[in-house]
Amino acid sequence: MNEVPELYSDILYLLDRYGGAYLSGVRNTLVLALTATFIGCLIGFLCGVLQTIPCAKTDNPVKRFFLALLRVVIRAYVEIFRGTPMVLQAVFIYYGLPYITGGQVKFSNVWVAALLVVSINTGAYMAESVRGGIISIDPGQTEGAKAIGMTHVQTMTNVILPQAFRNIIPQIGNNFIINIKDTSVMFIISFTEFFAAHRAAVGATYKYFPSAVIEMVGYLCMTLIASFLLRWLERRMDGADSYELVADDQLVMAAGTYNHPDKGTPFDERSKEYREQARQELKYGRTRGDR
Amino acid sequence: MEEVILQVNHLSKSFGSNEVLKDIDFSVRKGDVISIIGASGSGKSTLLRCINLLETPSSGEILYHGKNVLAPGVKAPEYRGHVGMVFQSFNLFNNMTVLDNCMVGQIKVLKRNKESARAHAMEYLEKVGMAPYIKAKPRQISGGQKQRVAIARAMAMDPEVLLFDEPTSALDPEMVGEVLNVMQALADEGMTMLVVTHEMAFARDVSSQVVYMNQGVICEQGSPEELFGNPQRQETRDFLSRFRKG
Repeated sequence: MNEVPELYSDILYLLDRYGGAYLSGVRNTLVLALTATFIGCLIGFLCGVLQTIPCAKTDNPVKRFFLALLRVVIRAYVEIFRGTPMVLQAVFIYYGLPYITGGQVKFSNVWVAALLVVSINTGAYMAESVRGGIISIDPGQTEGAKAIGMTHVQTMTNVILPQAFRNIIPQIGNNFIINIKDTSVMFIISFTEFFAAHRAAVGATYKYFPSAVIEMVGYLCMTLIASFLLRWLERRMDGADSYELVADDQLVMAAGTYNHPDKGTPFDERSKEYREQARQELKYGRTRGDR
Repeated sequence: MEEVILQVNHLSKSFGSNEVLKDIDFSVRKGDVISIIGASGSGKSTLLRCINLLETPSSGEILYHGKNVLAPGVKAPEYRGHVGMVFQSFNLFNNMTVLDNCMVGQIKVLKRNKESARAHAMEYLEKVGMAPYIKAKPRQISGGQKQRVAIARAMAMDPEVLLFDEPTSALDPEMVGEVLNVMQALADEGMTMLVVTHEMAFARDVSSQVVYMNQGVICEQGSPEELFGNPQRQETRDFLSRFRKG
């Protein structure tokens, strides 16, 4: 049973020599996942909102044509980027763009390429989540908003999207956690995230298992913290379970006409009186009105 | 005679081949309280939803102060701002507090500033007895309370006409009274109201006119005394007798 101490010393050795690489890997992974999830959400919201613009048969043909075209384009985007592996999309875009533009468009920075790929990929998933979130809101909410004269845009921004957003937070969290893990495929375009640190470390030391342990623990920590924060955010958005009743006569309380803090209030007087009375009763029994 | 606010001419509405409203004509004058009664499926709610343009009528016209709101180029949201609506299922905005529900329309649609919107909202919330609950979310209050807030929300927009689509049908019996009281108070103040209802006592005692609808047409129309006291048509008598027995 000397494997455990050996594993321990191997891990210490790796952390000692490659600790900086692991840490910067964690940082890059988190920054990439966070930024790409955010941009992906923006893309998703844009697509989801555009897809749900109402279109009646009585609208003019030009508007209907553009709405239909928009839906086809978004649909194609979603299907293509949801239906192919992200590792391939990375290769496709990173090498493809310079290739077909004859070197006109080049990625000077691997960050730009990685952000682009992960954002577009997340956007494709989020587009569907947002669309689902919007159509899941009770049509009565839309009718209520229309009935007080709101336009479609006002209804969306004030009533529907805030509720849809609350409902798709779990989906956003899902995507964030998936991104933390799946950015590891960005090693294909030599982006140095957390998993790349593992490849570097084992390439030099051949300590595959100890490094994998570090990686497992590292990824799990990142995703657990992310889950925890997302749950907290959800609870915060739901607001308090209870509410305060507001006193009917606000002015009296607010204007301070009743008392000075040092003076006490008539309520204090009364409670003192009651306290005294109760004490007397306890001591001597009831004095008035009974028997 | 008071000025005509709404005039409905030859209004028809079909869902596919199902003709729900057939050639409806009627008018609403300032200060009228019109109750629309009739069996389920007779087209009462559809008529109300057509008037508010939540449904697009198949044919006919709706004149608001003499102008056809179905004409192309008429902005539906602007028109809806003048014609409030209270729904059977309340439709309060779930993401807002009671107070925000009553303020958002004033701020976004009528472009009032926050202070005056708040003061105006509080005025109506006090009237419906919901002022203490302004910080509550819709999920935290009862059905009757929700409906009273919904009425305050509609009234805060200062509509000319208020449409009620079966406002008490989704409520427990003990909550019906509180909502009807609020409606009666509004009627007494001279609010113009169009009420689709199954509350016959309300139709009889509060409204100035009663419309009985049957199978997509206005079957009979008159003052409550005429319609309840001396119905002319056999269908009306049958309908009313069912209520008297129950």
